Amino acid sequence: MELQLTAAFLNAMVLQAGESAAAIPPATGAAIGFGLAAIGAGYAERSIGSAAVGAIAEDRGMLGYGVLLTVIPETIVIFGLVVVFLLQ
Amino acid sequence: MNTTVDTANYGYVTARVRVRRAALFDEDDYRKLVRMGPGEIARFMEETEYETEMNALGSRHDGVDLIEYALNRNLAKHFDDLLTFAGGELYDNIARYLRKFDAWNVKTVIRGVYTDAGQQTIADDLIRAGAFSDELLDQLTEAGSIEMVVEQLSNTIFGPALEEAYADYEEMDVLVPLENAIDRAFYSDLLGDVPENPSEPTALYVQLLRAEIDFRNIRNALRLARSGADIDPSEYFISGGQLFEESELAQLTTNVGQLTEYLRQSSYRSDLENALDDLEEADSLIEFERALDRALLEYTDALTNRYHLSICPVIAYIRAKEREVDNIRAIARGKEAGLTDEEIEEELVIV
Repeated sequence: MELQLTAAFLNAMVLQAGESAAAIPPATGAAIGFGLAAIGAGYAERSIGSAAVGAIAEDRGMLGYGVLLTVIPETIVIFGLVVVFLLQ
Repeated sequence: MNTTVDTANYGYVTARVRVRRAALFDEDDYRKLVRMGPGEIARFMEETEYETEMNALGSRHDGVDLIEYALNRNLAKHFDDLLTFAGGELYDNIARYLRKFDAWNVKTVIRGVYTDAGQQTIADDLIRAGAFSDELLDQLTEAGSIEMVVEQLSNTIFGPALEEAYADYEEMDVLVPLENAIDRAFYSDLLGDVPENPSEPTALYVQLLRAEIDFRNIRNALRLARSGADIDPSEYFISGGQLFEESELAQLTTNVGQLTEYLRQSSYRSDLENALDDLEEADSLIEFERALDRALLEYTDALTNRYHLSICPVIAYIRAKEREVDNIRAIARGKEAGLTDEEIEEELVIV
């Protein structure tokens, strides 16, 4: 019984997909993906940034390392941007 | 949502203390210091991060006193900074730990009053890094008798314990009961405030404190075992550790061999291995106590490396900074007393 229901649901989904466009348009999907990547980068930079500021406050020689380490999570946003360009 | 956890800025504080930890004196600096006279040590310190304190105090004091007061003031400055940096749960835990300086200050005042040291002498020896206000500390230094000191502390964490111990002090006229009461009040307060189900950072903090209590109990147990004096070990027992039960300690203090064997079987065996070997070979309690200090520092450092975003680096820094101050004081005082370089080097704990 359960198996039949699942099969019927899958058939309906396939039919629906065939009839109309995707549930989420590519541009919207790319935008969501980019937004999530940006949130991820922000979250990662939050603690790295605060630690970097702490280290720089103690020793200005740490400035280079601090900035470098803080921007590393920025690559996640760049990956998001790449996806946006691929889908355009 | 637990807001106290949210405001705990572990990354920021940890980064700052790690930089400060790296700036502490290393083995080479100590080697240089041991070869200097008191005047040269003072000059050397003027070129390090103690510069501000040395210049500020230079007009009022000189020689070894200047070094000692500058060390105390520098220590207080750094630990005050920690409280300025930290937030949330981290702030609470650091503040609670720094009350050890309140304990230190109360002991200093009691000893000062007991030996009739002048008000200014006592005030100079205080380390203003704890939770006591400057007002309270000033009142304490002005107190003319130990009874007055105990009275003024009645509203603090040390109040009830000191009042209880005061009767013993009056009876025996020695400071031991009062000093014990201070230590025990401090440690029971440290662990007493901890919530039933602590968060992970707080649980780590508790682990560090338990280790500190254990090490203190080990030291007291060995001192008692060595002295052979007829003293009730439970008077010195600090509860809260994980290594001893009170009854076990009472039995172990009767025999040094049994105690070292017990320690070799304990969870600290890897940390204490060298210390225990030293004790058996050198047969000297002082060396063993240095080895214990070293083992506690190493244990804290090991936890720091394992849990780098926690209170561990902060406690490790506090202990290492205290150690540095003790080392420099030992060198300066040792030079003043005319000890040889080798004798002074034996006093140092370098990790």
